[in-house]
Amino acid sequence: MTKVTAILLAVLLATPAGAQQALSPRDSALHALNRLAWGATPGLVDSVARTGVMRWIEAQLSPEAPGDPAMENRERPFAVLSTPSADLVQEYLRAQREARVARRGDSMAGRRRPGPGERMDPAMLEQRRLRRIGPQLQQLTLVRAVSSTNQLGEVVADFWFNHFNVFQNKGLDRPLLPGYVEWTIRPHSLGRFETLLVATAESPAMLFYLDNVRSVAPGATPPELERLRRLRNAGRGRMVEQRRRRADSLMQEAQNRMPRGLNENYARELLELHTLGVDGGYSQRDVTEVARILTGWGTAPPPQGARFEFHDWAHDEGAKSALGTDFPAGGGRQEGLRLLGLLAAHPSTRHHLSSKLCERLVSDLPSDGCIDAAARAWSRNEGDIRAVLRAVVRSPDFWAPAAIGSKIKTPMEFVVSAVRSVGGEADSTPRLAQQVARLGQPLYLQSAPTGYPETQEDWVNSGALLARMNFAMALAAGRVPGVWMDLDRVVPLAEDATVLVEAVDRVILNGQMSPHTRSVILQELAGIGSPVQARALAVGLAIGGPEFQRQ
Amino acid sequence: MSQDSSEPVGTISRRAFVRAGGLALVGLGFDPLFLDRAAYALPHLPGTGGKTLVCLFQRGAVDGLSMIVPQADPHYYRERPRIAVPRTSLIDLDGQFGLHPRLAGLKPLWDEGSLAVVHAVGSPDATRSHFDAQDYMETGTPGAKSTPDGWANRYCRHAREHRETPFRAVAFGPQLPRTLAGGAPALAIDDLRAFGLRSARREGSDRLARAFEALYEGASTGLLASSSAEGFDAIRMLREADPSRRQPENGAAYPPGRLGQHLMQIAQLIKADLGVQIAFADVGGWDTHVNQGADQGQLGARLDELGRALSAFHADLGERMRDVVVLTMSEFGRTVRENGNSGTDHGHGTAMLVLGGKVRGGRMYGRWPGLDPSNRFEGRDLAVTTDFRDLFGETLVRHLGSADLSAIFPGHSPDPARHLGVFGP
Repeated sequence: MTKVTAILLAVLLATPAGAQQALSPRDSALHALNRLAWGATPGLVDSVARTGVMRWIEAQLSPEAPGDPAMENRERPFAVLSTPSADLVQEYLRAQREARVARRGDSMAGRRRPGPGERMDPAMLEQRRLRRIGPQLQQLTLVRAVSSTNQLGEVVADFWFNHFNVFQNKGLDRPLLPGYVEWTIRPHSLGRFETLLVATAESPAMLFYLDNVRSVAPGATPPELERLRRLRNAGRGRMVEQRRRRADSLMQEAQNRMPRGLNENYARELLELHTLGVDGGYSQRDVTEVARILTGWGTAPPPQGARFEFHDWAHDEGAKSALGTDFPAGGGRQEGLRLLGLLAAHPSTRHHLSSKLCERLVSDLPSDGCIDAAARAWSRNEGDIRAVLRAVVRSPDFWAPAAIGSKIKTPMEFVVSAVRSVGGEADSTPRLAQQVARLGQPLYLQSAPTGYPETQEDWVNSGALLARMNFAMALAAGRVPGVWMDLDRVVPLAEDATVLVEAVDRVILNGQMSPHTRSVILQELAGIGSPVQARALAVGLAIGGPEFQRQ
Repeated sequence: MSQDSSEPVGTISRRAFVRAGGLALVGLGFDPLFLDRAAYALPHLPGTGGKTLVCLFQRGAVDGLSMIVPQADPHYYRERPRIAVPRTSLIDLDGQFGLHPRLAGLKPLWDEGSLAVVHAVGSPDATRSHFDAQDYMETGTPGAKSTPDGWANRYCRHAREHRETPFRAVAFGPQLPRTLAGGAPALAIDDLRAFGLRSARREGSDRLARAFEALYEGASTGLLASSSAEGFDAIRMLREADPSRRQPENGAAYPPGRLGQHLMQIAQLIKADLGVQIAFADVGGWDTHVNQGADQGQLGARLDELGRALSAFHADLGERMRDVVVLTMSEFGRTVRENGNSGTDHGHGTAMLVLGGKVRGGRMYGRWPGLDPSNRFEGRDLAVTTDFRDLFGETLVRHLGSADLSAIFPGHSPDPARHLGVFGP
């Protein structure tokens, strides 16, 4: 490499294309930290500006990211991470069963709550443990977003979970969700899209959530039911009337619970939400054919751990034709994989996904230029997510003045970036997660498969803004439970209001404080004698004010 | 979607007008707040049009068959040997149907003609999943999962003639329910008394509100500005009207608990003339798979609370109930046959109550399909003979004066021929 190319390359890596004039190194660092990370921590803008923002982005994108031992320590208290999915499912089933028994017993003998000193019965303990799975997972996600050094990875994992949304409170999805986040989404969120798509299609959480476990070829009978039927018929002659009736009612119950035909739910969302997009050019016939192709994609019975299984008995063996492609009879599980490959490589999919990524990272109304750049990178690199992200951040639209500060933070972005801005940390109790829920975005609890919306219309409403202001004041006063911080370290107490506001602007708002905000805060500080109160007020107004809602 | 961001512009211009006019009036010795109040006070003298619809969602799928019992249908008693409500304790409505005894408080409302019951109502979608079915009922689009907004929010977006007030659409609870989510402004209030900026003292809270208002007024435009302005308007209006000081009237006794609290606070907002057009509250505990009970038991306890809350609300509002309609809803009904745990499983059709306004009460609405197995949905559940969208739509048209339902229930062509005639002229 000649010296000139080396210098050129260094310049290219250090500054965003087309932004040399528009943005200072600090401004571009802040913009990158707002969009590609969960906000800046004290001092981080300067450090990224020194490194060079493009170099920082490359490092975040690198597959050889350095380990994060501090993060590993913080993850340790989260039992959901170390408990295998199958065990969580077992616990869930046991708790369900025991709760039923307990309820039955209760109503006969009156409620029995353990008195003081009395041991809580194991069923109740288990219930309690199960109820903790959800909050634990929420809090783990927040701890990672607040403290991980692998910030872009956390942003992208959040994007993909939301894209492949699963609702935690739909029955079995409660015990299945930790594994889904940890093993289906996270390991693949910077890989190839097709790999991620197949992982979600084979995930018990998704198959259960979108009812594919209940989708069978019309007329298909599961071997268990067949067995039950044979058993009953064989025992018929010897059974007393009462037992026969009992067996019949069991049969009836089993039959009622057995799926009887296609369920198009997953097929439809796979096309509409996960891949092609609502205008991606498919018909109702395609939905039905895709549903037929995916019959048999199910799980082992929950008592056996609910792992992914392909069921030959449920699969529709006939010939199909979807999206202009023929799937000859007898394709089995392979034809499903073929279909997913087809969908992943479809032009509508890369346009749909590029557009969604640009909406998340660049603007609520992303330009065609940005979307096209991402889509081109997608097709050149066979859906390699890293390459697509690179194309987005190298697009001039990413750095355009119109994009800077143009997006409103979601509740999670607001809470996480607020905690980061004061150099705070979240503990392992689910209390910070409750704050995010209170602001309207309870994690893993979006029931619709669309995931949470990304644009400001959905997050900005009067009640929500007041709630953000209350959160900001509580955080600044050190009253948000479960958050550790040392405000003295980042915004030292100051007698002089101007000095204080200067520090708040530099640390919390990274120099973005408007003259108007400055004058309002100074005015409010006028009558306040206590430096501690003054600092809490200034920090609270800055975090609850308009500048901090934007990114 | 993007065009919707321009929706609250009206709010800004009104505010700008009020502010500018207010400033001029200060010179004449008027309090600028006076004009603000005058602007709000005009169209809502009681009885002059300010109609309110209260939606009450029974989450978990209420057993319509034991709430409003088809006492003349032999299958009801045959299929529920342990949990059927005995005829002897039922409160007879019309010989064919009877009220669950724990709803006794509603009988006088039925007798005076302000309470109507729609039976065998529900969704055309067959799902028996709570979350899918609630979603469908809240978005108003059965079968379509990706509808981004709720039917009541779409109503607010398309019926623009209503005056602008931050209280036009209010949901009680920590978050906006799907029903009210979407492009039109809507408030979620968990507790009226705690709405606003929290501070140990009232002066502190006022001061914070002023500081934040000043911050947002000068430094932002667009949605952030208009929404925060609505929030501060709401705080001011609440401060001014102080609805929480209004004690329940006419001897209304709300039951303890969240439902009673929320209905009482909805009544307070209505009485304070804050321009509430759609209010939403929900109540859970209807998923009675185990030990549902007959006249006593789990279902009875929930119905007792519901009945007391509704009759308290009705008494509390008194004359104002002419302008208020309460509509109950639930995602689906429950199986005709009791299960092995003396409970009922997820079913299909259920019953909904319509109370107040110009309701032609004291009668049953909807075609009763009967409980004969051959008439049941999928051979097991009460069939749906009234699509919930037709009942909701009729309520919007006849109570709120909605002119066009096509955008509110897309894909469901509005047809007055399907109206049940629940509302009088």
